[in-house]
Amino acid sequence: MNKLIRLYHQIGSPPSFYQISGYFLKPLLSLAIVLFVYGLIDGLFFAPEDYQQKDAYRIMFVHVPSAWMSMFIYALMGLAALITFVWRIKVAEAVMMASAPIGAAFTVITLITGMLWGKPMWGTYWDWDARMTSELILLFLYIGVMAMYSAFDDDPRKAARLTALVVIIGLVNLPVIHYSVYWWSSIHQGSSVKIIGTSGIKDWDMLRPLLVMALATKFYYGYSMLHRARSYLLKTEYKKQWVHLILGLHETKEKTNE
Amino acid sequence: MIRYWAICQRDLLATWRKKSGIYQPLVFQLLIVTLFPLGLGAGAQTLAKISPAVVWILALLGTLITLEHIFKDDFEDGSLALYVRAGLSLPMAIISKALAHWITTGLPTVLFAPIIGILLHLPETAYGVLMLSLLLATPIFSLLGAVGSALTINLRSGALLLSVLVMPLLAPVLIFGAGAVLETALGNSAKGHLLLLSGALILTITLAPFAAAAAIKVNME
Repeated sequence: MNKLIRLYHQIGSPPSFYQISGYFLKPLLSLAIVLFVYGLIDGLFFAPEDYQQKDAYRIMFVHVPSAWMSMFIYALMGLAALITFVWRIKVAEAVMMASAPIGAAFTVITLITGMLWGKPMWGTYWDWDARMTSELILLFLYIGVMAMYSAFDDDPRKAARLTALVVIIGLVNLPVIHYSVYWWSSIHQGSSVKIIGTSGIKDWDMLRPLLVMALATKFYYGYSMLHRARSYLLKTEYKKQWVHLILGLHETKEKTNE
Repeated sequence: MIRYWAICQRDLLATWRKKSGIYQPLVFQLLIVTLFPLGLGAGAQTLAKISPAVVWILALLGTLITLEHIFKDDFEDGSLALYVRAGLSLPMAIISKALAHWITTGLPTVLFAPIIGILLHLPETAYGVLMLSLLLATPIFSLLGAVGSALTINLRSGALLLSVLVMPLLAPVLIFGAGAVLETALGNSAKGHLLLLSGALILTITLAPFAAAAAIKVNME
């Protein structure tokens, strides 16, 4: 068999996924921590002050990477959901269900940091701006996904397939929601304040911590998602032999051997 | 084709015999609409300002409370499994059930909307667009509701989950629908909004039945 195809099949099987992903956990976590520390120190102390917003803009180094992650994770979850629904691969289920809470957490961080920034800049914690509204609806989508899964506690595989369907429906609707919210907001009011886009930043000293933080959040997601996916697999496969071997449940192992 | 019509007829008859399915959403809307003047003060100007949105949101909520039952009874007594057994196409059966749901809740809501509008001092020019926008949107409610209902079919208390699933999907519909009425009330043309609403309707008719069918199939496994 082709090496690549074999690797693909190995990753798709829970025991070898568990084993392979185990090697990645520590490197991912240490990379994430190092980059977080560097990015935060660089962003909060060494990046130059913004000429208009002064120091308040520094919340961007947390806000913008989180906002990127909130959408990136939904896209990845959508991919995993498609694989779950079409090929019923268990590892894809694990990746999908492991991604949802992390994505929701990043969405909440985006909203909260955005609100904290909005108070000094806009004079209000919340304004029904198009970006804020679509981010809030994204949070509802994440909540729907998690609620769908937790509603079926008796049959995790069926729950995963239905949840995958919810994710896919959300994925199809996400652009519709996004653009309709933009049109809605532009009908009522012109955008009162432009949020800083990356295209607007020309200063490398400002851009560097932002990119470092973006990388840090990616690595953190990789670590956290793999960790969650591993425990998801342990939980759903608890009757299988390989789980017993890993957890060292000798008594149960002997019983199944007899 | 006759067989799908028979499903629709059967649902219509069942709802007609029960009656409560038809008047419940209307009574619900009437109850909630009374709360607005009580809470906001009965000033005609204040009410007229919020009336396009309120009429629309009430129509949406009124349909939302009836969605749970689109498939539930049929799933529990095994009729849905029978449809599949009999070789009926599941998406088509879903369309006929959604049609029956629309006739019993969507259509009354459209006809009832002007009454709610009068209670809220909706500007006179906006009534035509109000009914037209609801006529375009209520089938979307029924179809997307069918998807949500199909997903939560197996759950004993899926009402809240159903709202959580359906609400983000209905956000664009509300934006364009209430937007159309608001624009007309302000004296602008609502053509763009209505065209987008029709587009949303066509998109929903083509995609929603298949999504609902997929959900029902998973649930029947």
